[in-house]
Amino acid sequence: MLSIRGLRQTFNPGTVNEVRALQGVDLALADGQFVIVLGMNGSGKSTLLNAVAGTFLPDHGKIEIAGHDVTRWPEHKRARLVGRVFQNPLGGTAPNMSIAENFAMAARRGRARGLTWALSRDLMDDLRARVSTLRMGLEGRLDNAIGSLSGGQRQALTLLMATWLRPSLLLLDEHTAALDPKSADQVITLSDEIIRREKLTTLMVTHSMQQAVSLGDRIIMMHRGRVLHDIQGAEKKRLRAEDLLDRFDEVRRREQLDEPAAALLQELYV
Amino acid sequence: MTLLLGAFTIGLILALLAMGVLISFRIFSMPDITTDGSITLGAAVAAVLLVKGHNPVVATAAGAVAGAAAGALTGILHTKFKINALLAGILVMTALYSVNLNVMGRSNVPLMQHTSFATWGEQLGQKLFRAEYIDLAGWRVASGDLTLLLLSLLAATAVGVVLFLFFRTHLGTAMRATGDNAQMIRALGANVETHLILGLALSNGLVALSGALLAQYQGFADAQMGIGMIVWGLASVIIGEALTGSRSLGVTIIGAVMGSVLFRLLVAIALRWGLDPNDLKLVTAVFVFAALVLPGFAKKLRRVPSAA
Repeated sequence: MLSIRGLRQTFNPGTVNEVRALQGVDLALADGQFVIVLGMNGSGKSTLLNAVAGTFLPDHGKIEIAGHDVTRWPEHKRARLVGRVFQNPLGGTAPNMSIAENFAMAARRGRARGLTWALSRDLMDDLRARVSTLRMGLEGRLDNAIGSLSGGQRQALTLLMATWLRPSLLLLDEHTAALDPKSADQVITLSDEIIRREKLTTLMVTHSMQQAVSLGDRIIMMHRGRVLHDIQGAEKKRLRAEDLLDRFDEVRRREQLDEPAAALLQELYV
Repeated sequence: MTLLLGAFTIGLILALLAMGVLISFRIFSMPDITTDGSITLGAAVAAVLLVKGHNPVVATAAGAVAGAAAGALTGILHTKFKINALLAGILVMTALYSVNLNVMGRSNVPLMQHTSFATWGEQLGQKLFRAEYIDLAGWRVASGDLTLLLLSLLAATAVGVVLFLFFRTHLGTAMRATGDNAQMIRALGANVETHLILGLALSNGLVALSGALLAQYQGFADAQMGIGMIVWGLASVIIGEALTGSRSLGVTIIGAVMGSVLFRLLVAIALRWGLDPNDLKLVTAVFVFAALVLPGFAKKLRRVPSAA
């Protein structure tokens, strides 16, 4: 469903702020696969997601989604295939517009927007039914500005909006990191529910080991712009949070040495 | 009374400008100074076509389209060439000054001798009221003036309703979201750049329409008539918000119309009381400054005692 080959991206090349964010990422996701992306700060997780979403066009490499080569597609064109939830709970909704209007826009994700009525009766009926499944009591407040809701509520609605039209690929970028623990739990449960029910191909970035272990059917761990570990199948099922922490420690130990020293040690002892 | 009627009529004609500024300033959060050029452009194009003997409908529509093109140009400079929004507006406005002079061929085109909406309005008034002057609640008013007032009210209402309906369609809703959260609507597949260009075209189209009608009402188009009109529009929008106290779509549109009329009345009264017309722009600018700053200032004042 998603295929990434030889993806490279350097920000601010040739300056002191040069960041080699992606250094050759290869990744293929099967249809319906739910993949967790782990990694320390600056490992390139979010850059990877942004490259897939089209926030920037990469220096090298190729990205295919659902059989389309989208490498040169602008962000808004990729929206036809991709549903997204951002880390910032304010990022995925238009605060001064009503809940219903936000959904009217989500119901046209990636499609032509003409001069037909945005809030049709069909949409409103459908909307009330689906929003009530969130059990947040929002179905009676569809005309309220979405900015008046809590971060957790907004994130749950953004998730519902991103999956309103079934996306070929769902991107979740640390979408519970900015929420309080209770809301985070709610949103995670909801995400898992929707992804399982709709069998959505998903890339989810997280910092939570617990989420990584309990969710999804594959974990990729990124380090310095590359995929360092790829854990799937039976190994993923057996995996405990401590195992992941061990792997992080290993990365951290290696981080203490500079790159040439690490390479030298590896050559001598491995 | 004639003065009052005139103030109302001009207020309603400039309500179209206020609605245009509402689009750029409130929906796209971009004070678009192209306004100063496009109101004159609308007036100039309409005036020249009227002098050539074209139908007022054609002339007015052509003026509006020219303004829309100017707005689209500002949008293109901003989105495609990544020029700062304010600077893009300044560039187009400056260029339009020469364009307007070229269109008109001189700095002022009188329209008194030519058939325009104003002539039509007066003829319609004669037909409707069957008299040159009529009695309105004890005041003697020219039937033509009254008809023009009613026509302006009709125009402002029609444009307001169309605008409201447009911003409730799929396209209009997405355009509003562009100003509210561009990242969100981009992630939902809208081309933010196209929306901004379209929005500025719509905004300046309305402004130019307002200019075309104003020229016909006052009987001339003038190269200087656009100076400070963006501030005028901002004042109307802000007064409208103060009057209605709401940011919801329909109410802000009605507010802009009310704001424009009220502001024009205030200006007429001030001039009547002896305000030097030369000071008008200064007073308007100070007024808009106060209107922008006072709400925040008042909030601060209110917060201080509660903190103590």
